[in-house]
Amino acid sequence: MRSEPIDPDGISWIRVSPKYISVQLIGWGISALISIAVASAPLVLLLTGVWDGFPAWLAWTLSGATVLANLWAAVLIPRQVRAIGYAERDEDLLIRRGIFFQRVMVVPYGRMQYVDVAVGPLERAFGLASVKLHTASPQTNAAIPGVPAAEAARLREQLSARGQARLAGL
Amino acid sequence: MTTPRGPGPDGPAPGGSPTRDVPLVPDREDSWHRVHPISPLVRGWLALAAIAYFFGRDSFESIFRGEPAWMLTEGRGFWAAAILLGVLALLVGGFVLSWWFTRYQVTQEHVRVNSGILFRQHRQARLDRVQAIDVIQPLLGRIFGLAELKFEVADAGESAVRLAYLPLASAQQLRATILARASGAETDPEHPDEIHEAPEHPVLAIPASRVVGATLLSGSTVALAVMVLVLATGTAVGFALDWGSFGVALSALVPGLVAVAAGYWSVFSTAYNFRAAVSPDGIRLRYGLLETRAQTVPPGRVQAVSVTQPLLWRLKDWYRIKVNVAGYGVSAENSGARTTLLPVGTRGDVMQMLALVLPDPGTEDPFGVFSAGLAGKDNDGGFVTSPRRVRWLSFLTWRRNGFAVTRTALLARSGRLWRSLAVVPHERTQSMALHQGPLARRLKLADLQLHTTTGPVRPVVYQMDIATARQLFDEQSARAAAARRQSLPERWLEHRPGQEQDGQQ
Repeated sequence: MRSEPIDPDGISWIRVSPKYISVQLIGWGISALISIAVASAPLVLLLTGVWDGFPAWLAWTLSGATVLANLWAAVLIPRQVRAIGYAERDEDLLIRRGIFFQRVMVVPYGRMQYVDVAVGPLERAFGLASVKLHTASPQTNAAIPGVPAAEAARLREQLSARGQARLAGL
Repeated sequence: MTTPRGPGPDGPAPGGSPTRDVPLVPDREDSWHRVHPISPLVRGWLALAAIAYFFGRDSFESIFRGEPAWMLTEGRGFWAAAILLGVLALLVGGFVLSWWFTRYQVTQEHVRVNSGILFRQHRQARLDRVQAIDVIQPLLGRIFGLAELKFEVADAGESAVRLAYLPLASAQQLRATILARASGAETDPEHPDEIHEAPEHPVLAIPASRVVGATLLSGSTVALAVMVLVLATGTAVGFALDWGSFGVALSALVPGLVAVAAGYWSVFSTAYNFRAAVSPDGIRLRYGLLETRAQTVPPGRVQAVSVTQPLLWRLKDWYRIKVNVAGYGVSAENSGARTTLLPVGTRGDVMQMLALVLPDPGTEDPFGVFSAGLAGKDNDGGFVTSPRRVRWLSFLTWRRNGFAVTRTALLARSGRLWRSLAVVPHERTQSMALHQGPLARRLKLADLQLHTTTGPVRPVVYQMDIATARQLFDEQSARAAAARRQSLPERWLEHRPGQEQDGQQ
């Protein structure tokens, strides 16, 4: 993937597993079904004649807009997942994400308080895991989702070891 | 005093009955102390006041009416007295039990508090993890000469350890003891119980006239002016259209006025009688109108500082300083006041307080650099600002938004009408992030956000040229890494070879 303007020089990002696209798409499918069902309720009631008073244009717009928004989200998912990346440097870990609203975060190993590895049911089915780093700051929202389980374990050990070696106080 | 009959799992060992003396020498594992016996009363006076009001009002009113109280007529007197006595017995019993089961000890390494009647709670905190110590006297506590001691550690949503209440002198003595042990200062081996409070030097006091001025010029006044303006316009329009809505307009004003009064009160009560002092144990702040507080923040515990100026304070060149301290967090109770390092001060006061927080400003001309950060614009004081092409996007702030770097800290400047300056010492930077939205992408801009512990300060360098932002991002991570390697030890008075960071967590 090409380098974005806010990416630091000379960084080759490790991308997350392409299988994470499937995980995201399944999750998207479930939420899309629910939201479309809810948003289409007025339209269904209108067409079946249960709720005649509901303005037709509003019912159609509501359903249409929800379907469009969901489709748009689905189109974005693969690109969003491909935009997630991380890179281990000597002193710190870099994490990037986002296509429209991009973010590059640097988390020094010496500042890590603990590392979380979380696996949800969907992720487990695809052999993936999420790694999350915590510092003393609640703003450090450093999550790397969709990492292969073996890589997640390696990352956790590696990060803990490096954190131990460079430990600093608060 | 005897050993409690039903000792909990922490029951004191034989011979170790709790005492009310303040521990001067480090406690052994089995020596415990109790807080002052009337503490629950100071904490629970509201319940007693409610009862007194409930039972007292009826009798009191009936005296004026000249007829017997409803409660005391038709044989209700017995039941009323029984209920009153029952409730009182429950309350007082609860008070006595909660006092009986609350014990504390301060050993060489830890402070421990055991409390709770049915659900026991044992809490232990390491002394050298102290982030701040408060001595608080609520109004009733002041009447009885009692004070509460709050011991804060990092990452605790609530106070790590609260000792409520001790006689004021004991609380101060205990604070001195804890700070002396936490600092790693060496005690005289001949007299280990002679711990003197570290000598302190007054730095500044806010005169009452300035407190009043600051209150009147605070944001509440702006809000009030806007409110009156909107209502006046509304009423005028209402009269012109003959709605006759004057009463409605006035009634809409009431909640607004309450909010404004609350705003005035919070500015006034926290700035009232504010004094700052410095001692080897850190910065000490005292303030309060009804409830008085004395806060101690040991050296190196301040994570980030912000200096802000509400709109109307420009007239007097006054500023407010807020800090992030890990222990203070976001606890709702009085957190606005607790995180305030200086409620209102002149530029000279600001420089003095900044010098306490940042003893080494890392620049040859600290006054020039920080002045530029407070009130300057463009490149004075070595600040780097947003590029000129941003002017149509943020036409007010583009000459203010910027940053400056000294050897020890990063200064992030923003705001034209509500001026703001955030200062983060390099060694306190937790993590950082570059942000770029679609519009910033078109304009080749990026924001740099510095992450610090929970608190009112959120340092962001806004709308920098992308190349500048990336350079700052890289250099700042290197600077933070270098600063971390030589940061001060946690025990701030301990003598150790060199200034090695100890890897003990």
